[in-house]
Amino acid sequence: MLSYLARRIVYMLPVALGVSLFCFLLVHIAPGDPLTSVLPPDASQAMQDELRKIYGFDRPLPVQFGLWLWNALQGNLGTSIASGRPVAGEVWRAVGNTLMIASLATVIGFLFGSFFGFVAGYFRGSLLDKFASMLAVLGVSVPHYWLGMVMVIVFSVQLGWLPPGGAGPGGSAAWKWDWEHVSHMLLPAITMSVIPMGIIARTVRALVADILNQEFVPALRAKGLMDFGVFRHVVKNAAPTALAVMGLQLGYLLGGSILIETVFSWPGTGFLLGNAIFQRDLPLLQGTILVLAMFFVGLNVIVDILQGVLDPRVRRR
Amino acid sequence: MTLTLYVEDAQDRGGAGTPLLQAKALTKHFPLGGGAVVRAVDGVDFSVLKGETLGVVGESGCGKSTTARVVMQLIPQDKGELLFDGEAVGTRALSLKDYRRQAQMVFQDSYASLNPRLTIEDSVAFGPTVHGVPKAAAIERARELLAKVGLDPARFAARYPHELSGGQRQRVNIARALALGPRLVILDEAVSALDKSVEAQVLNLLADLREEFGLTYVFISHDLNVVRFISDRVMVMYLGEVVEIGPVEDLYDDPRHPYTRALLSAMPSMDPDNRTMEAPLAGDPPNPINPPEGCRFHPRCPHAQTVCAKVKPALVATSDAEGARRVACHMEIAGSGHSRAPALESAA
Amino acid sequence: MTAVTGLDVPKTAVAVPPLLKSPGYWSGVWRRFKRDKVAVAAGIVVLLIVLMAIFADYLAPADPTRSSMLRRLRPIGTPGYPLGADELGRDMLSRLIYGARLSLFMGVAPVFIAFVFGSVIGIAAGFFGGRFNTVVMRTVDVFYAFPSVLLAIALSGALGAGIFNSILSLTIVFIPQIARIAESVTTQVRSADYVEAARASGAGSGTIIKVHVLGNVLGPIFVYATSLISVSMILASGLSFLGLGTKPPTPEWGLMLNTLRTAIYVQPWVAALPGVAIFITSISFNLLSDGLRSAMDVKG
Repeated sequence: MLSYLARRIVYMLPVALGVSLFCFLLVHIAPGDPLTSVLPPDASQAMQDELRKIYGFDRPLPVQFGLWLWNALQGNLGTSIASGRPVAGEVWRAVGNTLMIASLATVIGFLFGSFFGFVAGYFRGSLLDKFASMLAVLGVSVPHYWLGMVMVIVFSVQLGWLPPGGAGPGGSAAWKWDWEHVSHMLLPAITMSVIPMGIIARTVRALVADILNQEFVPALRAKGLMDFGVFRHVVKNAAPTALAVMGLQLGYLLGGSILIETVFSWPGTGFLLGNAIFQRDLPLLQGTILVLAMFFVGLNVIVDILQGVLDPRVRRR
Repeated sequence: MTLTLYVEDAQDRGGAGTPLLQAKALTKHFPLGGGAVVRAVDGVDFSVLKGETLGVVGESGCGKSTTARVVMQLIPQDKGELLFDGEAVGTRALSLKDYRRQAQMVFQDSYASLNPRLTIEDSVAFGPTVHGVPKAAAIERARELLAKVGLDPARFAARYPHELSGGQRQRVNIARALALGPRLVILDEAVSALDKSVEAQVLNLLADLREEFGLTYVFISHDLNVVRFISDRVMVMYLGEVVEIGPVEDLYDDPRHPYTRALLSAMPSMDPDNRTMEAPLAGDPPNPINPPEGCRFHPRCPHAQTVCAKVKPALVATSDAEGARRVACHMEIAGSGHSRAPALESAA
Repeated sequence: MTAVTGLDVPKTAVAVPPLLKSPGYWSGVWRRFKRDKVAVAAGIVVLLIVLMAIFADYLAPADPTRSSMLRRLRPIGTPGYPLGADELGRDMLSRLIYGARLSLFMGVAPVFIAFVFGSVIGIAAGFFGGRFNTVVMRTVDVFYAFPSVLLAIALSGALGAGIFNSILSLTIVFIPQIARIAESVTTQVRSADYVEAARASGAGSGTIIKVHVLGNVLGPIFVYATSLISVSMILASGLSFLGLGTKPPTPEWGLMLNTLRTAIYVQPWVAALPGVAIFITSISFNLLSDGLRSAMDVKG
């Protein structure tokens, strides 16, 4: 078991390195001088050279990478060009915000998704199955940012039940767990939950159908196990994969939240990322992407380990 | 009409005395993680004469299939030599491609051996096209071969594998193997997956084809009855080594190696008056990863003595004047130190 | 037994009666597909949308770029503007019809290009195995470590806005995914007995790939690729929505959603229309892809 854990972590390291290399190179594949976003347009050559030295752009690339990585490992992701504040701090705050809606969205998606998927798989071929499967396909096909807009139209503009965006009065800094603030979470979270719901529903449906098809199920029934017993059995067998998919979906939501956060002006990492792109704020861009990608990599490892814990067959690989 | 199937440049190069196939000290090990090694085939020596059928028997894991694949050079051997009609395979004397025209194999899983996307005739015609035969000619040849193996080309040639039964597919595999006009055909559990009645039909087909085209077979099976029916000589393998080899009737009537004896007596008897009573093989089934020292069979052998655990018995001709039988057992080796070994004689 | 030439054409040909032809694999797929009503309906919808895009010039009632300051944000059903007018007074119906062109293109093109490159990479890695496989697949894993949206946006953000850059980013996002499937399927096929039998017949790697591997591998890869089209459309329009894709005034559904965002307070249903178009197209592609997968799933 310990060796499995160790193997998983060791396996992750080259990937993590590759990911950070990629984040680093992003800035340099951008057309134009990375310096242009920092410079005032009439800067003199001397000033350019000076700034180049400050930002370290005059050193050879591998050295730049090494320095950047070294700093990153210590938690220093540079300074945002736009705001002048340390990138790490901004990202950290934003991550917390995103995690709030992403977690809620994952939970909602998982609950409903599993429910629909289970029903569809259990009653395979029936009308119920077709209905639930259709819902799942809908979930996966909908452009979620558009769905967000529609939600705003329906619930904010037309019905006025929920606020259309933002993080509440006073912004995220003054967050309190009361209705005034939480109401801002609901629409983004629900919108975010649709895609995971669709994916989880499809996965669970396939899993359940598969398990029920396997030969040990009639054997269980022959042993006299009542339907509830079979049900428990199916859940036990489906749980590891379903949880793994849920974990991965959380990762996707964390990384892919930009669209929904833009629609709802929710101050999370996606929102931050959008700003960084538009202001060509390269340190912020790099730092945010790095953190998000690392989250995803780490999440993958955790999910793998969890699967190893829950499903002994995985460990032997 | 008859279809002669020999490759033209393979006139008997070696002459009547040269065995068609000679395996010398073939060895193949598969490394596992962490230093362990599966010793699948370890120093296997045998030869197959022209026109004869060599049966190969043994339990699962004894290395029969690996040996077959090494002979076909689907897996290269780690050590040892492979001679075909006196020429070393894979050298300038006999290139791999030329060898593959003369030696072919029929696999166990009739369905997995056929590309599900190709029609039957395309599958059979593939081999010849690889060696330069134009497509139309290859297809014609394929159709004739299908007729030869008992499948009416009009009904079967344009079909797909999934539309055929197991027996029919295996006939296709045989036709495919014959398409290149080989001299040697290796049959790796070729009939094991078929129903008994179908198996009998395919065995008869194999015997007829052998007769008609002068083929040499290596017939691998775990079914001792089948092997007896089709083989001229039999080779018994255990844990990657050859333990006994000899003419089929002699070996079945008078097995010399304790393992062979155990195998044969474990066969359920066909005669209700002479039922097989006990299971003669004791001990755990073998693990080719850590084979025992000395004679690999000694942990399960009722006659094992100290020398058996220390010294590996060589495969030697038996002491009676036949010479055709070879056994790897200390009880047959003169002066081995085993209490039942014959005494050393100063002259023959 | 005498040895005679064996591989020549036999001297006397056997007269073979006409062969019983069995329906091939693809006609079986087509048959099964036709029975699936949902998939067929989805296919028809996709076809209609494609036709609409091709014949936009004949179908659109007005010039999609003609703006009118007086007639901004008119609701659906306004005379002369069957689906309303957008924030610059342009006819929504025409813009939606023309928008299909770019939206479809940006959905299909990246997937198609990724299919080609990803398949080559994946099949090569799967077939040749060994260290080559390890190196290639580990590199693929690095890209796989990013959620697709993030990767697409990061690449687009770095490269800059524009159609070409968007297509490039999306292609880069999809190549690893296709390569993974390709490698997995190829590895399975490679270890099949019939491939070994082909090797035993003396065939070289090229012949084996051409005759035995491709036919069995491209099908599943293709089906997977079609399932990516809807994702690609949503991502592409998402990029435009963020301002990273198409630039105004070109009609494209994602961009239209972007510019109409603030209009949701004034003309909500008009503002939502482009998303409806994306939704319908995306669902149809998904159902089509599902149907295709089911039809291909049966053995033979």
